[in-house]
Amino acid sequence: MRFPLSAFLSFLALANNVFAKSSTGDSVLVVIDSSLQKEDYSKFFGGLEERGYQLTFRGPKDTHPPVEQYGIPGFSHVILFTPETKFVVASRCERALSIVIPAYTFDITPQSLVGLLSEGTNLLVTLSTKQTPLSSLSAEFSLIPPPPGTPLVSHHPARSEPATVVPIPVPESPLLTPGTPPVWFSGVPHAFGNSPYLVPILRATSESFAADSFDDSGADTLVDASEKVGEGLWAGSQLGLVTGFQTLKNSRVVFAGGVEMFGDEYANKTLPDGAPSGNEKFVRDVTAWAFRETLALRIDNTTHHRVGEEGSPEKYTTNDQIIYTAHISAYDPETSSWKPYSGITDMQLEFTMLDPHIRIALPPVTGEPGKYQVQFRAPDRHGVFKFVVDWRRKGYSFLQTSTTVPVVPPRYDQYPRFLSAAWPYYAGAISTSIGFFLFSALWLAGDVEGKKKKGLKTE
Amino acid sequence: MAPAKSSKTPVASETSVALTTMWKSYIQHTSDRLKLIDAFLVFIMFSGIVQFAYCVLVTNFPFNAFLAGFASCVGQFVLTASLRAQVNPENRSEFNDVSPERAFADFTLGSIVLHFFVYNFLG
Repeated sequence: MRFPLSAFLSFLALANNVFAKSSTGDSVLVVIDSSLQKEDYSKFFGGLEERGYQLTFRGPKDTHPPVEQYGIPGFSHVILFTPETKFVVASRCERALSIVIPAYTFDITPQSLVGLLSEGTNLLVTLSTKQTPLSSLSAEFSLIPPPPGTPLVSHHPARSEPATVVPIPVPESPLLTPGTPPVWFSGVPHAFGNSPYLVPILRATSESFAADSFDDSGADTLVDASEKVGEGLWAGSQLGLVTGFQTLKNSRVVFAGGVEMFGDEYANKTLPDGAPSGNEKFVRDVTAWAFRETLALRIDNTTHHRVGEEGSPEKYTTNDQIIYTAHISAYDPETSSWKPYSGITDMQLEFTMLDPHIRIALPPVTGEPGKYQVQFRAPDRHGVFKFVVDWRRKGYSFLQTSTTVPVVPPRYDQYPRFLSAAWPYYAGAISTSIGFFLFSALWLAGDVEGKKKKGLKTE
Repeated sequence: MAPAKSSKTPVASETSVALTTMWKSYIQHTSDRLKLIDAFLVFIMFSGIVQFAYCVLVTNFPFNAFLAGFASCVGQFVLTASLRAQVNPENRSEFNDVSPERAFADFTLGSIVLHFFVYNFLG
């Protein structure tokens, strides 16, 4: 989180230092549209290369290098600076008419991009006001694009720039450097669906709205729209401008509403109050998150054992005291290494057999970085249980682990056989036996007597 | 009981008279062996009642101990009652081919097997 500033400082100090690299790889494919000039984004691309990424550029129509070959992604990260590129829909017709429209080759499709994400590749996607395959793709990630041709418009604050070029204050977020100045934004906003995996990074200002007419003549339409319910008006801080999405495989994709915010022009443009804009810092933070430099966590290992024992037993007995330990690391982009991380305070451990029989806080151990430990009593229930840690917080890598252990009832010699509560029953059984012996003895004695009596009588 | 006697309770007095008569008759006409068996039966019955009351009122834990203790009472009661039926001279016609010695041997063997199972189940 503090990385960009300190990385900058270390850059000043040691020019040949090894800089931030992603936790998943350094190769980046930049698919850049022919209408965009690479030089216009020199600060952005230069910043990436400075941080240790190897950039490979290709146009959307090029076939080389391939995004994916034989099912294996060719790059760790893909940047799609193709906000207006469409698919080839009727290529034969266009060839006949020799119309040149921006288009992708066969290997960049929504399906292939989703496939890349499921293979662990990270994406940075830029959108525009035009209806493109990428805006359709964003809908698959629970972003709701506005109607085509409706950029974000704001008349506040008063400035010389057009109303569609809006300075946006940067909110507080774990993945952004605190104190980043407002950023210039020009592009399309989006509303949020209800996917829990969305990570809103930048939201529109409350005075801004999406409209297809930028001058005052369209004001009446807007007023009408605002009186409608539902999707009548796209306005306010509920709209997102830059939004991340983290998949269940922890790969990350960022949808940015416009490509201009990455450019040199906005990085150099001063804000209405004369201060420098925060674009450069902001896009660095966004790419650092998207390329899994920041907020990247992992579980190194988990162990479990009985209190007072070393090593994991094959099985536990009901009511055993169990100690569960997890070691968690966070990626440190400054040293390109994983470091123990004790910053999680709200993690929970579940001991489940279908249902969590026990759900207990798994707190960090003070003095031992990266170690989280808890002791608990196994439930009085035997069966096949699982230690489950499932920690999902917005922006952070999801932490999931599951260990299966059997819990068995005590063996025959592991619990007392005779209990004081059962003494009436024991006494009953014993007294019956004693009674039986006494009875038998008396009976036999009586038999002898009876014979004697009989004998006497008969004699 | 004598001062409580009055015209208001003719039924009660009749019942007590009948009970007294029955008790005297039992004392007079029952052989000593059957009385011995009856005493044993009464003891087993009370033991079973006490255990059942403890189970209901206090605890049935451990349940296997209750089952063993109670079953020993019930089983012993049944075996002893069978013995009583077989050695009673009045039932001679019914158990013509079972001598009292044979009946007692059956009773003993049955009781030993019963107690073997009870003690295995008790702990």
